[in-house]
Parts: sequence; structure tokens; C-alpha cells
Amino acid sequence: MFNKPVDLAGAAAFIAFMAVLPLVFTGNYLIGVLTVSVIYGIWAVSWDFMSGLTGRENFGHSLFIGVGAYTAGFLNTTLGINGWWSLPAAMVMAVLFALLMGLPTLRLKGPYFALAMLSGAVIMQRLMLIFWEQTGGEEGINGLTPLIQSQLGFYYFALGVLVATTALLMALARSHWGLILRAIRGDEATCQAAGINVTYYKIASLMISAAFAGAGGAMYAHYQLQVSPQLFAVVTSITIITMVYVGGMASIYGPVGGAILLVLLTELLRNFGEWRLMIYSCTLILILFFLPNGLIAPTWRRVRASLGAKE
Amino acid sequence: MSGHLLEVRNLNKHFGGLHAVKNVSFDIARGEVVGILGPNGAGKTTLYNLLTGFIPPDAGASIQFQGQSILGQAPHRIAGLGISRTFQLCRPFIGLSVLENVLVGALGAGGQDRHGLDERARALLQRVGLAGKEKVPVEVLSYGDQRRLEIARALAARPALLLLDEPFAGLGSGEIDDLSALIRQVHADEGLTVMLIEHKLREFMRLVDRVIALDFGEVIAEGTPEAIVQHPAVIEAYIGRDNPIAAEPSHAA
Repeated sequence: MFNKPVDLAGAAAFIAFMAVLPLVFTGNYLIGVLTVSVIYGIWAVSWDFMSGLTGRENFGHSLFIGVGAYTAGFLNTTLGINGWWSLPAAMVMAVLFALLMGLPTLRLKGPYFALAMLSGAVIMQRLMLIFWEQTGGEEGINGLTPLIQSQLGFYYFALGVLVATTALLMALARSHWGLILRAIRGDEATCQAAGINVTYYKIASLMISAAFAGAGGAMYAHYQLQVSPQLFAVVTSITIITMVYVGGMASIYGPVGGAILLVLLTELLRNFGEWRLMIYSCTLILILFFLPNGLIAPTWRRVRASLGAKE
Repeated sequence: MSGHLLEVRNLNKHFGGLHAVKNVSFDIARGEVVGILGPNGAGKTTLYNLLTGFIPPDAGASIQFQGQSILGQAPHRIAGLGISRTFQLCRPFIGLSVLENVLVGALGAGGQDRHGLDERARALLQRVGLAGKEKVPVEVLSYGDQRRLEIARALAARPALLLLDEPFAGLGSGEIDDLSALIRQVHADEGLTVMLIEHKLREFMRLVDRVIALDFGEVIAEGTPEAIVQHPAVIEAYIGRDNPIAAEPSHAA
């Protein structure tokens, strides 16, 4: 499905649109909003790869984001290492945390994994405050160096990472590997009866998911030029999950649209002052209620069907 | 290595105070079709779950498959060694197409040429009579077709031993005939060893070489289908000793 010309054209149109947008509507404010939306896109896509495909909801994706960001913070400020090392280091640390969380909890059925991830993020947020002498406590770590001096340049870099992440995870999701992950969502016992090591696939997919979330976390740290315990906040995880639902679960590309849409919506509603959260929540409820399969992915499927792309 | 494909000794399972499987021992020869017979609650499905590693047996048991102990191994390892099973209630991979369901069955076996997988999955669907439904989502398949799919999925893993759990449950008589023809054909073509659970005798009689009858977790009789239906312990288990009128004639029919 992915190699269909219609899909490639759609992807190209999206990239072109995102690339041209800050050139048409100039201003650092818009570039900032777009950069954040693109980083949220990376988080949403990485969440969808594990939780969307296997159906094991991760309520603590912010754990990997925070770990990635703090890794970048420590390396870049305390150790004074060049910022470009932050990304691979953040990925490695996030993968280690995924292993730590996944090994005990993904063997079990039931809500243990979701709850452990949620608690893991909350505990890390607390630990950042408890060990304030090392972590900077509430204020976090300041004084990170930007990866790219130009704001527009960094935006294009983030967009490139988002596109590469989405392409890679979509290719994986469409491979036999992804098929097994979707089968796990279908029925774990049948998977085992078919000779599939369900635990292995769940942990491995969580590690892949964590790697990209961690990379996104490091990028966010180098965008904000500081990290704070707020990065581990539960609300971040919930926002990401909402973005995936709006985008279309298990489609991988849908959450990209979901993330950009929701970040832009939040900004557009700033004019409404106190009504902002009300309108935002109502919009979400309406979308989730009337479009249980999400907005972005089903819309794209309809578009490509009308363009005559055959399955 | 002995001639038996599967050797089970002293298999026991307690669920709290319930002795669900009691001192069960039996052998399955290569190429045999063996029926596991017993009323509801006799421990047939528990026996399958013990054999396939889904639940661990009590201490002291021995399960040898192809001369190798499979005791304490994870279900996916046991499946990898060549024991495929179906479930009493169909458990297809919801959200996947019919073809994808069979592909997953083949993927689990591992170490195969991945390019040939698709072709093999299609051939299996052809064989169980689901050709033309490759792209259909499993959720919309009829129950009879889901049963066929389960068998195709189990065969995709190239098992040496196929465990069918009530393959005829919920099917109409026409579908039952078709499905038993399919099981017979699979057995004939590949010399596959098949065990099947059933609590109705009729389907058994034509299909199996040998019957192991269970009641209250115990093996109460073993023999040819003809001998089993005459066996006093089996008759007692189904009809009861004190009540000469068949309580559930459909079972014994």
C-alpha cells in the first residue's frame, strides 16, 4: 500500500505544505508552533507503532520523552558534549528504560503495562525533584546549546526527522514484523499457539517506540534550550494518545496529522481566552464520538479511494 | 527414541480443590488420528492446555514429544517444535484479513523462505475451501469458515501434531461433513498426526483410529471407536448407571 504513487504523492504534498508554510506566513512565532507540532508528531507516531499496532496502551510515553530530554541536558551542559550526540544518547537511554519497564510488565496480561508506564513517568518526575542537586529540581537544567542556530533551519531538521521516523516505522508496520504486532492485538493466545514469542515482540516494539520518543525528547530539549520535570507530566502522554486517536490508530501516518492538527488548534484557540479549553475539549469529544476511527487516516483512505487507487 | 510421537505420563492438574486432570498417561503413535472423548467438564481442554504449555501441570508429570521433554516450555516454543492447536471457541486474529491470519501462522514457525509464505498461505486457503476470501476481514466470516481458517492457520506452521479442540462445535450437519472430509484429507495427504476433542460420538466414529475417553479428569477407557461405545465406563459416564433412560441421547447418538 505504501509504495502506491497516490501515497507517495500525498506524502510529498504534505512535506511540501509543511516546508512552505513558514515561508508564506513568516514569523518566529509560527515557526515555533510548527516545530513543536512536528516534535509532537514524532512522539505520536512512535506511540502508535507500539501501542496502536499491539493494542497495549502506554500511558507513560512521557517517561521516554523525559529520559531523552534529560539525557540531552546532562550531556550538553554538565558534560559539555556537542549537542549532536544528544540524539543517539537519548535513544539509547530511552531504549534501556523501555527494557526496564517492558521486561517485568509486558509478560503479563491485563492493565499492568499501562499502569506501570503511568507510574514510571510519575516516579521519574518525582525523582527529578528529589535529586534536585543533580537535576536542578523544579527549574531543571538550563543553558543547552541549540543544534542549529537558525530557527527555520531547526524546524526543517525536525520535519526531516519526523518524515524519516514515519517512513521507517510505516515500512516496519507493513512488514511481516508489523503483521505479527497486529496479530498480537488480535489475539495473544492464538499468537502463542502459532509459535510467536509474544513477549519478545511486545518488548522489542516498545524499545523501538521508546527510541524515537527519546530522540524527540532530546530535540525538544535543544529547542527549548532547557529541560524540566514537567517533561514527564502525565498530561503529555494523554495529549499524545489523543493525537493518535484523532489521527487514526495503527495507521502510523495518521497520528502525524493528529499531532499537527491539535497543536495548531490549541494555538488558534488562544484568541478565545478562557473558553479555549472548553472549545478544545468539545472538539475532541465530538471527533472521538463521531469518528471512532479517527479523522486523518480515514479521510486519507477516502481521498485515495476517490482518486482510484486500488488496494 | 521410542516409536511414539507423544508420550504422556502421570499428568495431573489441580485448580484449587478441583482435580481437573487425574493421573493421565497415554501414547500417540506417528500418523494416528486419536479422539479425546468425554462429557463437558471432563478435562479435555485442560489436557490440551497442559500439552501445549498454556498451563503448567502439577509436579511429577512427563510429556515427551518426538523423544524430547516439552515440560515447562513456553507455548510458542512448543508450537515451534511442531504442535499446533486450535481453540474450542474460534480465536482468529481480529482486525486482520483471512490471508493475513494464515500468514501469521506460517511466520511463527520461523526459518522459512519469506517469499514463498504468501503463496503457501494462499494454497492452504484453497485447500480448506476459503479461496476467494483472502482479503475478507475475519470478523465477517461465518462460523464454519472461521473453523476452516483455524485449521489453515494451524497447518501453516507445518506441525507434526495437530490438536483440534471441538472442531465441529457450533456447526450444522452439512458443515460437519465437509470439515471431517477436510481433516481426513489433511491426514491422508501429509500423514499428519491428529488429536481431536469431541463430546459427540457420531463425528468420531468415522474419523478416528482410536479413542481415549476421559471423565472427571481420568482416562476411563481407551480403544477403537467401536469398542469405546460398548465400554461400560463410557456408557456410565454419558448415560449414568442408575438411570437406564438416556439423559442426553444427543451425546451418545
